[in-house]
Amino acid sequence: MPKRAWTSVLARWGIVLLVSLITLTPVVWVLSLSFKPPQEWLAYPPTLIPRQPTLENYLVLFWPGNPVGVVSEMVRTAEPVTRAFINSLIIVPISTALSIVIGFLAAYGISRFGAGGNFLPFSVLTTRMFPPIAFAVPLLVYYRSLGLIDTHLGLILMYTTFTLAFSLWMIKGFIDGIPRHIEEAAILDGASRWRVMFTITLPLIRGGLAAAALFVFIMNWTEFLFALIFTSRFAVTLPVQVSRYAGAVGRYYGPQAALGIIASIPVLIAGYLIQRYLVRAFTFGLVK
Amino acid sequence: MAHKEQVLIRLEGITKEFNGTIAVQDLNLEIREGEFLCFLGPSGCGKTTTLRMIAGLERPTRGEIYLRDQRITDWPPQRRNIGFMFQNYALFQHMSVYDNLAFGLRVRRVPPTEIERRVRAVAQALELEPVLNLRASRLDLSTMQRVALARILVIEPQVLLLDEPLNNFRPGLRELMRAELKRWQYQFGRTMVYVTHDQEEALTLGDRVVVMNAGRVEQVGTPDEVYWRPATLFVAGFIGRPPMNLIPVEYRISEGHAFLISPDFEMRVDERRALIEASSFLPRLILGIRPEQLLIPDLHASSHEGLVRIPAKVDLVRPLGRKLILDLKTRSGLLIQMVTPSTRRFAVGDDLEIAFHPHQALLFDPHTGQGLY
Amino acid sequence: MRFPIQWKLKWAEERWMGQLLILPMQLLIWFVLIIPMLIVIYLSLVSWQPIMGVDWWQAPFAGLSNYVQAVQDPRFLTAMGRTIGLVLVAVSLEFLLGLALALFFHQQEFPGKRIFASILLYPMMLPWVVVGLCFYLLFLDKGPVNYILISLFGPSASVQWYQNPILALMTIALADIWQWTPFMFLVIYSGLGALPPEPVEAAMTLGANRWEIFRYIVFPMLKPVILIALIIRTLEAFKIFDLVYIMTGGGPGTSTESLSLYLYRTGFIYGQLSYAAAMALLVLILVALVARLAVRPLEREL
Repeated sequence: MPKRAWTSVLARWGIVLLVSLITLTPVVWVLSLSFKPPQEWLAYPPTLIPRQPTLENYLVLFWPGNPVGVVSEMVRTAEPVTRAFINSLIIVPISTALSIVIGFLAAYGISRFGAGGNFLPFSVLTTRMFPPIAFAVPLLVYYRSLGLIDTHLGLILMYTTFTLAFSLWMIKGFIDGIPRHIEEAAILDGASRWRVMFTITLPLIRGGLAAAALFVFIMNWTEFLFALIFTSRFAVTLPVQVSRYAGAVGRYYGPQAALGIIASIPVLIAGYLIQRYLVRAFTFGLVK
Repeated sequence: MAHKEQVLIRLEGITKEFNGTIAVQDLNLEIREGEFLCFLGPSGCGKTTTLRMIAGLERPTRGEIYLRDQRITDWPPQRRNIGFMFQNYALFQHMSVYDNLAFGLRVRRVPPTEIERRVRAVAQALELEPVLNLRASRLDLSTMQRVALARILVIEPQVLLLDEPLNNFRPGLRELMRAELKRWQYQFGRTMVYVTHDQEEALTLGDRVVVMNAGRVEQVGTPDEVYWRPATLFVAGFIGRPPMNLIPVEYRISEGHAFLISPDFEMRVDERRALIEASSFLPRLILGIRPEQLLIPDLHASSHEGLVRIPAKVDLVRPLGRKLILDLKTRSGLLIQMVTPSTRRFAVGDDLEIAFHPHQALLFDPHTGQGLY
Repeated sequence: MRFPIQWKLKWAEERWMGQLLILPMQLLIWFVLIIPMLIVIYLSLVSWQPIMGVDWWQAPFAGLSNYVQAVQDPRFLTAMGRTIGLVLVAVSLEFLLGLALALFFHQQEFPGKRIFASILLYPMMLPWVVVGLCFYLLFLDKGPVNYILISLFGPSASVQWYQNPILALMTIALADIWQWTPFMFLVIYSGLGALPPEPVEAAMTLGANRWEIFRYIVFPMLKPVILIALIIRTLEAFKIFDLVYIMTGGGPGTSTESLSLYLYRTGFIYGQLSYAAAMALLVLILVALVARLAVRPLEREL
């Protein structure tokens, strides 16, 4: 290989490695922090690999009163994250499933029958356009009257609605991609419209539905503002718990880092699985 | 024309591999100044790849390309001054027709008044003046084609490379546009290299035709040579519709005479003995005869002497207006196609005797595929 | 008409079925979107706080006084200006970096490209609060960023990031850029991949150099995709709340408070729901106007 080619290969690798480094560092740092004992949290000089790695930061999140070590002594008063974890595991999958089911039905109606005209599909987009805080103000008033504050149902309803824009538009894109004559053939064979929808169209977009579901899952799992405002004790979700650890527990960086890692793992897995659908998802199917 | 024989582009031992698969293998070719050269072959035969290598859009894995004796193998397309017309025309959809035409001149830093003059001149020649201010995305196909041609003509390229430009036209329009292209070639007198998989197109348009198959050149020649003297079995089978009849025969010498023997006929070939004996796969040979060279002797009162006769049965009749195609089965079960005027009626099952002039029959070596001339 | 009666029935049935299919979505939209919008308009025109002891539907009418208060509220106006500034800086940097990376990945071939591309994507999947937490921890007084600064420039280079309003805003912007440059990269990269190669090749044979090809061919063809990415990201960045809440809490003082954070505090910490409603409506109008303006060039493009 000529000399110039070598240097350009090296330069390319240099750029790529630098960018990857910048991308990875923040999370790798937090990952390392989550395995460090208290004396290393702010140790100087900082270490990337913990000298005395420990799982205590993780254990203390779930059993804060249990005196197993130094960290537990320090954060004795913190509340366990178990409840938030379970809440997230209840609220997020249910609202994701609802969002996908309702989104699929509506997408089919809009794509195949033009139901709702031009206005409906675009009005759904406004839920993602405006700052959610603007919706939170009236919703609070309204939820108080209905007793929905700090309930699973309250959050599920909100999460379902505010991810409908994604599920509707993504699924509509997939349905639009299926030629109508496939359905028409089945209708000529005597199948009813409903049957066609469930036995012809639905199986054809199975992969797309799964991608949409995982994406909506990510959106719901990471939602923070509504959860912060509309829950206090009973229905708290993981992101809120993360913020509470960052705030209330103050300088207990180890457990904070551990919680951040735990809260991220499910969405990282989901995101990895739907890599090739991400563009579609984030742009409501406008870019394919 | 005197300069017509001058070589403009020379390809020497060009090989192109894509990830281990060979697209073009050891191609040698000279493109002459001012000629209309057609690359013909089935899809995937490497003809478009060759064209792209001439333009500099692909780099040959091995071999060299010369333009007027200058080695241009490593030149980027920008330096070559070669016009390339894409199958889908690749117009700049976001620009007006005028900007499309002016693009090549603008990037060459030609002064604006000069650009204006040259664009107008080409636009006039190709009747594009009315659409100059339209967006390129709003044109119909034949206008798009003219814009694509004008866009490369305006930069006055050394050679025009055209990659299946008529593919998108429906059949009727296709013939019309073919005639247009031929007219333009006379009008602008430029060297054109034209890629197509349509044999009729290649035979009508080309001064010379390059027949390619599986990355190799099978034959280079005038349309007549390619049609009547196919160099290889592939060319014989590829060109002509219906295709040439290819009949397996056996070479035998008996009583001092050379014969080709098939279960259905015998043919004396004393005068071609030397050629035949050069063949590598003796005694087996392939005999080729075009469907239109077959005749039905009792219809032709003229000299029937020396004809090779084959008894056969009509298997299928396909009328084509003035002519018709007969599918015939010989006694040994061989299928032979012939083209004959539709002045006589045929019915399936009729017994016929067909014949051909032995000197019209072509012979091929079944092993190498080469014709024995 | 010659159509059999069954056809007509079929059409009627399909209309009915279409309406039925969108019904659940419409119910939800009414419940969580339209009714609340009506309430927010009502709230903004009355004077009501949860601690007042009256039910919200019995609150005294206040006319436009909430709006008048909002447009005269320096904290509201500075939060608005700060948010807009943050959006402009962060989104334009995200765009430029994303574009550069996308072009780099599109044009260069090197081993491991796919793996690197997927490494670049992961930040946008992370929960905002976790990103906030990561950057908060990086910029601690005794955190790794300061350590790097000190080892490069000596002990005086250490910076108290969260004590200085400008620096604190910068860390927030950095976190946003870190998380969302991948989005720009992804959208532009896949947009580049979806472009037909022929116009670029045509431009090459016509003699255009790399810059001219980018400027006159690739960029214009990419424009719709870029516009979509910019619009989505701008609207999204304008909502910024989580990062600020976690990293600075709006501090020091209120010097890094974003619009969403100020509205949150007004409505849910100070309990002035009517005032928050009025400000929220002002924000909605502003966003709607900006979105309308931004979509116009896109409509021309498509």
